[in-house]
Amino acid sequence: MFGYLIKRFIQMIFVLWIVSVLVFVMMSFTGDPTYMMVPLDATDEQIEQARRILGLDQSHLVQYWRFLTNLLQGDFGRSFVFRQPALQLIMERLPATLEIVFLAMIMALVVAIPLGVYAGAYPQRAGSRALMAGSLVGISLPGFWLGMVLIFIFAVKLQMFPSSGRGPTEVIWGMRLSFLSWEGFRHLILPAVTLSIGTLAILMRIIRAEMMEVLRQDYIKFARAKGAANRFVLFKHGLKNALIPLITVFGLMLGDLIAFATLTETIFAWPGIGKLLVDSIYRGDRPVIVVYLMFVAFLFVVVNFLVDVAYALIDPRIKVT
Amino acid sequence: MNTNGFANLTRRGAIAGAAAAALIPTGALAQAKALTIALTADAIILDPHAANELSANIMFYHFYDALVQRTPELEFKPSLAESWQVTDDLTWVFKLRRGVKFHNGDELKASDVVFTVERLKKALMASLVANIAAARAIDDYTVEFKTPKPYAVLHMALAEILIMNEKHASAQTPEQIGLRPMGTGPYRLVEWIKEDRLVMEAHPDHWRGKAKIERVTFRPITNPATRTAALLTGGVDVIQDLSVRDVASVRANNAFNVITRPSLLNIVLALDMRDKSPTIDLPVNPMKDQRVREAIVRAINVEGLRTVVMNGFATPSEQFVPSSHLGYVPGLNFRQLYPFDLARAAALMKEAGFERGFTMTLDTTNNRYVNDATIAQALASMLSRINITVNLNLMPRANFFGYIRVPSDKSSFIMSGWDTPSGDAGNMYNVLLYSRGRKAGYGQANRGAYSNPAFDEAIDKADATSDMKKRHEYLQEATKIAARDIPMIPVHYEQDIYAAKKNVTVVPRMDKFIWAYEMDVT
Repeated sequence: MFGYLIKRFIQMIFVLWIVSVLVFVMMSFTGDPTYMMVPLDATDEQIEQARRILGLDQSHLVQYWRFLTNLLQGDFGRSFVFRQPALQLIMERLPATLEIVFLAMIMALVVAIPLGVYAGAYPQRAGSRALMAGSLVGISLPGFWLGMVLIFIFAVKLQMFPSSGRGPTEVIWGMRLSFLSWEGFRHLILPAVTLSIGTLAILMRIIRAEMMEVLRQDYIKFARAKGAANRFVLFKHGLKNALIPLITVFGLMLGDLIAFATLTETIFAWPGIGKLLVDSIYRGDRPVIVVYLMFVAFLFVVVNFLVDVAYALIDPRIKVT
Repeated sequence: MNTNGFANLTRRGAIAGAAAAALIPTGALAQAKALTIALTADAIILDPHAANELSANIMFYHFYDALVQRTPELEFKPSLAESWQVTDDLTWVFKLRRGVKFHNGDELKASDVVFTVERLKKALMASLVANIAAARAIDDYTVEFKTPKPYAVLHMALAEILIMNEKHASAQTPEQIGLRPMGTGPYRLVEWIKEDRLVMEAHPDHWRGKAKIERVTFRPITNPATRTAALLTGGVDVIQDLSVRDVASVRANNAFNVITRPSLLNIVLALDMRDKSPTIDLPVNPMKDQRVREAIVRAINVEGLRTVVMNGFATPSEQFVPSSHLGYVPGLNFRQLYPFDLARAAALMKEAGFERGFTMTLDTTNNRYVNDATIAQALASMLSRINITVNLNLMPRANFFGYIRVPSDKSSFIMSGWDTPSGDAGNMYNVLLYSRGRKAGYGQANRGAYSNPAFDEAIDKADATSDMKKRHEYLQEATKIAARDIPMIPVHYEQDIYAAKKNVTVVPRMDKFIWAYEMDVT
């Protein structure tokens, strides 16, 4: 187990390094960010001065070297635009993203599990077919469209939920959180629903497929022959075994949602990291983009690692080496 | 959200002059007035010497004041300075207003002004003080500025220099200044939760008198449809940049007003005038010929762009600067000088020997100006009528401004926007049309490499006088020359569109800044 940890750790460092190189190379093609910061009529001296202030007066290689050495000292660089540490910008906004992502995940699980079990247990029923068709719609719905429709129906027409923004927040352990007050929670609902629909549909389809697979197994037949109650067979024996592959998917989807809640956040003016990424790309703010993508890569590596560990804990047949 | 039933309060159409400021009744209101305004983006930083970006600019002018203020119509009025005089060609003396209080209670002194100029010189926005060689405090309420050359519009440039408190600012790190602004402005910061809201409250000791609206909240809502939804659901009172799509429906709704006004942003086309042009595969650049340039203007149907591409929300440009500016020539109009006339355009091309046309590339953005990509496509199809094949090279703005940067050795034909909030055509002509490389600080954005000694001379004269009237005349001279030479084609001004609840008085400003001090809620 210890050797495995070391291996994963080295792997992670390698992945992060590759990401940082890729982003640096990519960003060096996207033009000189200095021109985004100075007025259009700036003279050459003013541009030079701005370049010096932003640390862009050196070659790309030197800039990258400087970035790496600073990184090893825990300094992730400063945003060109905000003139603040890039990591701090991301950490400031992370709680907002985590809030909608976790709520979306909970919503997706709570709905997807019973529906998936039902559709897997009775694949021939009309209800199951309707669910499958519906899930296809859920997967293919573009998030921005769904978000706009939800705003139009529930905010503009029915006035049930606020259309955008985060509402009142409370600070707990240094994090600003919305869900602690009812008013704040109301702001959470529409973005979380928008975010959850795609995940919900995919989870449901996976659970259904796994259930169908599991229900063909001998131990299910045996349980039924034993005369166990239907619900007991489905949820105790069936679902429990069907959940194993779900963990992998769940982990990846969690990473996916955190990393790419960009559209939902932009539509709902939700102050999370996704919106920060979109804005930073728009502004050519390289340090933030680099740190963001490294953070996301880190997240995926960690989630994958946890998934592997969880696998070993849940399914004794699997060993991590 | 708002207090209603105070209809008989003073409504201000225009900004109150400095003298009247003390007389404005603040009103004994039972409940403080509040206003929420949705902007397209959050401010990036609150240090006015570290950024030049619309949302940040909007905030700066709430927290800070300049020596001179710009009215919504771009007139220039005394602000922190009560009066000024030009003592010789290079020297200006400003008398400061007495008793102006910073948010922390300190009184404004001449040393604060000197400190501000010094701080700016080392800052990202150093270009703001390019026309100040030195600043000196004569006494606590008198500041003397030296300009490097005669500069008749220094007072207009000073409207963009926001004054900081020396004692406070020198004790703060740059990062703190970027987060916690402290000036003499009509509002002071309450809280700023990035990307969520920025809340400010009226500064009770503000020298113009306390603002009528007690508490102002700015919310960044990037998505245009979400912004409209926020207005319709009552979450916000005023929105910036109402989407053109939503104008009709919001207008039809009795609870809201839609307010439009031409902005300062002039969309211009720069024509390459070098001997050989990078994207034109001909031994000689056809656009060196004035007739070809005239043919291009005449082939562009600006009215068509306005109605079809811009849905009516554009104002065709007469000249390079609007009528409020120094250098504007009354009666001179590109649209009358060179009206849309395909037959004439084709004839001119034939005369110049380019009847069979040529091919060139248009460089422009696809995310910077309203409908920029669509305008580019329309231009390509318009110019194809006189056999000019225009290839489009559209790029995001992050790439664009570096790509077209002088020496612009990849470009023949560039569409971009230019605004001159300084109220002076000189700022634009110096950088965009003065010959390249002849003088430092001139011609640095002359993308078409236009060079006419007569034009340069007019600019030189304008920049050699400290008399504003003379400067105006020289700049008008330059305008006339440029209109004849057509190194650049002005297309249209974008229109700013706001929507607000009926009970909010919005004063749309030419520079697009939103200033809560000028607004009211009834």
